[in-house]
Amino acid sequence: MGEGRAVEQVLKLRNLKVVFPTDYGLIRAVEGVDLDIYHRECVALVGESGCGKSVTSQAVMRLLDSPPALIRMDVLEFDGRDLTQCTEAEMQEIRGKELAMIFQDAMTSLNPVMTVGNQIDEMYRRHYGDSKQAAREKTVHALELIGIPEPKERANSFPHQLSGGMRQRVLLAMAFACMPKLIIADEPTTALDVTIQAQVLKTLRGMQRGCGTSLLLVTHDLSVVAKMADRVYVMYAGKIVEKAPVKELFTNPHHPYTVGLMAAVPRLTDEKKKFTQIPGTVPSPVHKPSGCYFHPRCEYATERCRREMPRLEPMGRDRQVRCFHPLGVGGKSSD
Amino acid sequence: MTEIMTLRNVSVHFPVRGFLPFLKKGEIQAVSDVSLGVRRGEIFGLVGESGCGKTTLANTMVGLVKPTAGQVLFEGVDLHSLPREEFKKTRRRMQMIFQDPFSSLNPRFNVYQLVSEPMVIRGEDDEETMKARVVELLEMVGLSAQDLYRYPSDFSGGQRQRIGIARAISLNPTFLVCDEPVSALDVSIHAQILNLLLELQERLNLTYVFISHNLADVKKMCDRLAVMYLGKLMEAGDADKIFARPLHPYTQALIAAVLDIYFSEEREIVVLPGDTPSPINPPPGCRFWQRCPKAMRGCKTVPPAFLEVEEDHFVACHLVNGFPNQDLPEGFDQPMVGREKVPGR
Amino acid sequence: MKRLWMGVRKRLRGAGELLAKIWAHRQGKVGLIMVTLLVLVAIFAPYIAPYNPYDVSQRTTKGLPPSWQHPLGTTINTGQDIFSMLVYGTRVSLIVGVTSGVCIAIVGSILGVAAGYLGGAVDTLIMRIVDIMLVIPTLPLVIVLTNVLGRDFWIIILIFVALGWTGLARTIRSLVLVLKNTNYVKAAELAGASRWHIMIRHILPGTSHLVIMSTALSSAGIMVAEAGLSFLGLGDPTAISWGKMLAEAQSGGALLFGAWWWIFAPGLGIFLAVFGFMRVGLVLEEIANPRMKRTSSVYKLFRSLDSSYVEEVFRSMDDYQRIGVEGVSSGGGQSRGTGLEA
Repeated sequence: MGEGRAVEQVLKLRNLKVVFPTDYGLIRAVEGVDLDIYHRECVALVGESGCGKSVTSQAVMRLLDSPPALIRMDVLEFDGRDLTQCTEAEMQEIRGKELAMIFQDAMTSLNPVMTVGNQIDEMYRRHYGDSKQAAREKTVHALELIGIPEPKERANSFPHQLSGGMRQRVLLAMAFACMPKLIIADEPTTALDVTIQAQVLKTLRGMQRGCGTSLLLVTHDLSVVAKMADRVYVMYAGKIVEKAPVKELFTNPHHPYTVGLMAAVPRLTDEKKKFTQIPGTVPSPVHKPSGCYFHPRCEYATERCRREMPRLEPMGRDRQVRCFHPLGVGGKSSD
Repeated sequence: MTEIMTLRNVSVHFPVRGFLPFLKKGEIQAVSDVSLGVRRGEIFGLVGESGCGKTTLANTMVGLVKPTAGQVLFEGVDLHSLPREEFKKTRRRMQMIFQDPFSSLNPRFNVYQLVSEPMVIRGEDDEETMKARVVELLEMVGLSAQDLYRYPSDFSGGQRQRIGIARAISLNPTFLVCDEPVSALDVSIHAQILNLLLELQERLNLTYVFISHNLADVKKMCDRLAVMYLGKLMEAGDADKIFARPLHPYTQALIAAVLDIYFSEEREIVVLPGDTPSPINPPPGCRFWQRCPKAMRGCKTVPPAFLEVEEDHFVACHLVNGFPNQDLPEGFDQPMVGREKVPGR
Repeated sequence: MKRLWMGVRKRLRGAGELLAKIWAHRQGKVGLIMVTLLVLVAIFAPYIAPYNPYDVSQRTTKGLPPSWQHPLGTTINTGQDIFSMLVYGTRVSLIVGVTSGVCIAIVGSILGVAAGYLGGAVDTLIMRIVDIMLVIPTLPLVIVLTNVLGRDFWIIILIFVALGWTGLARTIRSLVLVLKNTNYVKAAELAGASRWHIMIRHILPGTSHLVIMSTALSSAGIMVAEAGLSFLGLGDPTAISWGKMLAEAQSGGALLFGAWWWIFAPGLGIFLAVFGFMRVGLVLEEIANPRMKRTSSVYKLFRSLDSSYVEEVFRSMDDYQRIGVEGVSSGGGQSRGTGLEA
């Protein structure tokens, strides 16, 4: 999955900037984010609440309303097509068929007064012009693929009659229905129980690999990333601070924030009664620190970190870090 | 070792009314025949997924819900046998922290009003004392006097949870039920809040009941715990013992479902199939039989007994305890074939 | 005592903020202006009306069309100046409308909260009364009541309130059922709050937006209803009201003689009053609905932004040398902070 080979690139985003004007000041939500997603891969965009990852995913789908947001980007190419030049009508064609999205709360994403079968049927009828019967056949097949028992009967249920996990899987079925090139999943399992989360993730991963769809996984949960992603972008206060293939990220993280995030994840193998936390809090999106945004919370911060914003530097094969003193690279060790 | 909270055969059942008001269509058996004891000064974990009854059990412990059967003993006294005034006074010693930091604070109240409300209700302090106390509480939870007149909407989820904690400890409780206190927060924030809870426990001599479905948090926080499924206890006892040797298949499944960030090449995700069933009219026999990978035919109709397997380690499972000596169905100890386990809804 | 004063001050400040919010809305501005005008007209009626509306002695001026002396003409049968009647009629309509609206709000919200929060027998009792009142046809009931109790001004208001509280009570009750189960109410219960405390401090304030909106809208509705009653002859016979004007217009043969101004005037009055109140009510509803809250203020902010400032902000986000597959560096970008190190 390196840059050298000519692998088909599904998404190319360069220099995305998003700003929201409010009564309190200008919210700098996204500050110059680049993303590359290639064919058949799962890319994770990881960060805490408020880091701008959801705004980024919405901007990619061009679902961000321009008042109130102010959006700039140099390049947004989807499957070779320049999305910035598309009209809303063209975007609506693309969304659902080639570019799909899965949100966190299935209950608000599904129409409560339509059966789930009808909702999935609609995808087929709208994008392929299928007849009612043909669409329903495809729907039942999709539900079966997703692992929903008794798909024919289930298709006639309403969303509130299904459990949380089932609803999430219906959303998956809808997203995969038209075999899109790219699916953006924004916190798809955050609200779910542990065993249901495992089910949904396993299904998602299986579908993604089976259908050859690329997946952009937006989440705050590193343990989900460890199981699902091929490459990872770590985001903090609107900027990408680290980019790496998943194995390298977890075995040898470079950015102090990444190290902190990983240490904060509770593990069954941890010591009792000791929770490692990242000191301080995420900066307010209106008043960001000078220099490197992470410096107030970083134990390795120097005077330079206080004055200057580091830029994203390449650091090994397909890796980038935004730090003047990255860890795990000769010299300092990360643990 | 005194027990601060004892539950004896507590059941909480809600009737489901049919079309005619007096016809009972069925029962939601939220909690069935639960007995457990929380020792003073410990952190007791309550583990389970949605529908298992842990929130109802928590509400019953603090007297928000009256059990339909059984007793709730707080500091040795039957909570629901107390006269109204005594009940209110006793209840002040037990408090609760809620899961959702967004709905547990009235958005129209500012921080001062929120944290002082319990004191206002108690009616024993004047304005000066209350203000000083609120500032003290805010500082204890990591906020400051500057936040006194701000509104919940100005704060992040983690900070709101801190406000909720400040409110809960304002009346100097001895017993605190934490109902999924970090489930709605980012994983990176769990550590902050849980560290705060640990610190407060030491400082104020508190006993916690810690409810969560994140087993890693539970393992690190709790001294003892209980695992619930569909209103019944599956396994309970000393936390270290349970994690070292989980005996009940559901406990094993919960532990296996925890995603670890340790990177392994195969990146295995262990899945327990099936859905969390509804607590309406649950089946006889073991309540977990439909999802249990090791179910035997007898598990469907014979309810397992909750027995002590080693010191302070209880399990309710036929696989572990063996079937009781009673009228058993044919082939009771034969493993169940897949077709027999199709879940009805 | 001091706490009471602080509470009052807070309410006043809240009211002031609410008025400002309504003003910010384009429609709200219109509504507020109209309502204020009507209130002023009602208060200063004697100074605004050129003639004494009760004056029936000018027989020479009967049935005159609009002119400079009589902006809206005069009545056919008695020669009263219609404009003055309109102005004085404002008083009746407004007083009946607003008073009834406010009283309905009070009665409806108290009973709604009681039914929703206390549940049980109280709930059943109140809801049965609501059901019964909904079933009984209003107009015959009003006719019976006015016959029995008299047609005094205040009796009419009483009747409106007695018949009108049910709708609000129902709505409030539904909202209370939701509020009852929120965690902050549970937290208060845990602290030992009495039911009274919870109802007054948590539940009632939670319904305030609904109550205010309903007051505005029901006032509008009652003004129409009052006009209707007066038209049917069930209203106060001594008071001048728009409905009565319509009744007299009809019986005085306005249509017959083509005296359109006589019908137009009270119709205009009713329209303006109802329009004004409804605008305010609808804007309040929008304000109360949290999802709609921000739209207009955000658009304003958006338009008033200085675009060069925005561009500077965007530029400040660039890394001063961008790494990418293309190896492009964005020239001219400033890095944050000072001191570009070599």
